Amino acid sequence: MKVVTGVIGNDIHVVANRLMDLSLNARGYEVFNLGVNTFLEEFFDAAVETGAEILLISSLNGEAEGWSREVKILKSKYKTLDRLIMMIGGNLTVGSGNARDIVPRYKNYGFDLVCHQVDLNTGLDMLEDYIKEHRQP
Amino acid sequence: MSTSNEKLLIDIGSTYFKVSTNASIEQHFRDFNKQILDDLIHKCGDTVHRFEASDIHICSSANGGLSTLIIGLTHSYSLKYASNIAFNSGINIIQSIVFQNIEDYSIPSDVIDVVIIVGGIDSNGGLFDQRLSDYIAKLDYSNVVYVGNSQDAAAIASQVERLVVLPNIIDDRLHIVEQHLKEYLTNLYQQDIEGKEDIKHLYQITGNQIYPTPYVVNKSLPLIHSSFSVTEPFILLDIGGATTDVHYSKDLVSDNIVTEQGHDRIVFKKLGVYKSRQSLIFTAENNEFAYELLMHLKVTENIYTEYSEKATRILMQLAIFLVLCKMSHYRPTYVTLNLLAINSIVFTGGITKVLEAEDIEDVVAFFYRKILNSDHKPVTVLDTNYDIWTLGAREHATCQ
Ligand code: B12
Repeated sequence: MKVVTGVIGNDIHVVANRLMDLSLNARGYEVFNLGVNTFLEEFFDAAVETGAEILLISSLNGEAEGWSREVKILKSKYKTLDRLIMMIGGNLTVGSGNARDIVPRYKNYGFDLVCHQVDLNTGLDMLEDYIKEHRQP
Repeated sequence: MSTSNEKLLIDIGSTYFKVSTNASIEQHFRDFNKQILDDLIHKCGDTVHRFEASDIHICSSANGGLSTLIIGLTHSYSLKYASNIAFNSGINIIQSIVFQNIEDYSIPSDVIDVVIIVGGIDSNGGLFDQRLSDYIAKLDYSNVVYVGNSQDAAAIASQVERLVVLPNIIDDRLHIVEQHLKEYLTNLYQQDIEGKEDIKHLYQITGNQIYPTPYVVNKSLPLIHSSFSVTEPFILLDIGGATTDVHYSKDLVSDNIVTEQGHDRIVFKKLGVYKSRQSLIFTAENNEFAYELLMHLKVTENIYTEYSEKATRILMQLAIFLVLCKMSHYRPTYVTLNLLAINSIVFTGGITKVLEAEDIEDVVAFFYRKILNSDHKPVTVLDTNYDIWTLGAREHATCQ
C-alpha cells in the first residue's frame, strides 16, 4: 500500500519522521516521505499524484490543532480523496493534555486514527488493525 | 579573416540589433523595410565579412518567446514542476489548470504555442478522463505534449491528435525530472525563432545554431561578478522593445524545488516599450498606482499618446514599475520574489540607452515605498555597454 507521510506546518522535528520512514518501509508500505515543513495542501496533493491510500501526518511542536481545523474544508475540495485513510500522531496539543479529550476532537476534525504521544510501532499496529477491519472485501 | 579565436557576436532584438567583436560593440536601429540579413549586411557588412561562418554566433529575442497552457493534477507537484521547467525554457505561462475542475476554466482566446499535460507518478493511473480531450478540442494550439504518468499516455494519445509523449516529469519519489520536457521546449523555442521574422536567412552567415537571447543572458549570470560589483541575491531586468525578461537568484523564491541552476528567469511577453507599447500601456491603465507614478514623474496620462523621447523615457520607467509589481505580492503572477531581500538590481537592454541611473533609482524607490511600504534601497547597476550579453554570448560561443 502507498502511504504519504511528513511533518506538518513549520515543524522541523525530523527524528520521528526518519524513524517513521524506516518502519513503514520495513512493514512493506511504499512510502512517499514529504519530510518536515509540509503544508496541508501538499499532503493532499501528494496523495492525488501518487494514488496513496494512507496519509500519515506527524506533528511535534504544537501546530497540529491549528492545521487540523482546516482538514475538512480543504479535503472537501478534492474529488478523489474520499477513501483516503487519515492518521495523525506526535504531540497533538500545546503543553500537556490527555488522549481521552484529544482523540475525539481530532476524529471530529476528520482523522480516522489519532495517536497522541503514542509510540510509533504501537501506532503502526493500530493502522494495520484499522486496515484489516475497514478494507477487507 | 579574423584571428582564429576571435568571435563575432550578433544579437537581433525586436527594435535594435547589436554586433560585438573583441574590440568594439555597435548597436543599430532596425530598418523594418528590409529583411534582417540585408539590414545587417548593409550596416555592418565589413565587420561580418571579416569572420568565418563558424566564428559568428547569433542570438535573437525578436519574437518574444512562446506561450503555454498547463493542465495538471495538483498545484504542489504537477503544475509546479511543469511551470518551473517552462520558465526555465523561456516559455510564458498563460494559464494553469487543475484537472479535477477543468470545466470551470475559460478557454483562452490567444493561440497557445504548446499545451502541456501532466499528472501522477508512473505507478498511478486512470487519472484523466473525457473532460481532458473535450477541453483541448476547444483550444487553439500548435503543439501538445504529455509528460504525466506512463499508464495514461496511450489513452490520451488516442484522443488528442498529434500528442507528443515524453517521460514523466515526476519520478517515483515525487521529485522533479527536468531534462526531457526542457529539451523539448527549448527546441520548440528555437524552431520558433528560426521560422519567424526571416531569422532563418541569418543561417547564410553563421555555421552555429541561433539561440534565444534570454538563454544566452542567463548563461552570464554566474559570471556577472567578473564585470560588475553586484551583491547576491540580485535580479536582472532586461527591458526591451517587445519583451521584458527577469532573471533572478533562486534564493529569492520560497519554493523548495531543487534544480541545477542558481538563476531562473521568466519572460513577460507583452511588456516592452516599442513593439509591445500598447499592451504596456494597457497594463499601466489597469494598475492603480501607475497614475500616481505618472504624477510623481510630473506627467499626465496624455503621455501614452505622445511619441517623443520623453514619452519613451516615461514608458521605460513605467515598465520598471510594472515588472516589479508583477514580481511582488501585489500582483502575483507565477513567481513571487522576496524583493525585500535583494541587494542589487541590474538593468540591461534598450533601457540603459534611454534612462539615467537617477531616473531608474527614482522609480525603484517609488515602488518600494508605495507597494512594499519600505525604504529598502537595493543598489542599481546599469549595464550600459551590453557587457552582460557579451559575457554570456562569449561563454556560450566558447562552449559550442
Ligand atoms: C530535539 C528537539 C528539538 C530540536 C529538533 C531537531 C530536529 N531537527 O529534529 C530543536 C532544538 C531544533 C527543537 C526546536 C523546537 N522545539 Co523541540 N524538542 C526536541 C525534543 C527534545 C526531542 C524530539 C525528538 O527528536 N524526539 C525523538 C523522537 C523519536 O520522538 P518524538 O519526536 O517524540 O516522536 C515519537 C512519538 O511522538 C511518535 N510519533 C511522532 N509522530 C508520529 C506520527 C504518528 C502517526 C505516530 C503513530 C506516532 C508518531 O513516534 C516517535 C517515536 O515513538 C522534544 C522533547 C522530547 N523529549 O520529546 C522537544 C519538543 C518536541 N520541542 C518542543 C518545542 C516547543 C520546540 C520549539 C518551539 C522550541 C522553541 N521555542 O524554539 C522549537 C520548534 C522548532 C520548529 N520550527 O519546529 C516541545 C513541543 C511542545 C508541544 N507540542 O507542546 C517539546 C515537546 C519540548 C517540550 N517539552 O516543550 N526541538
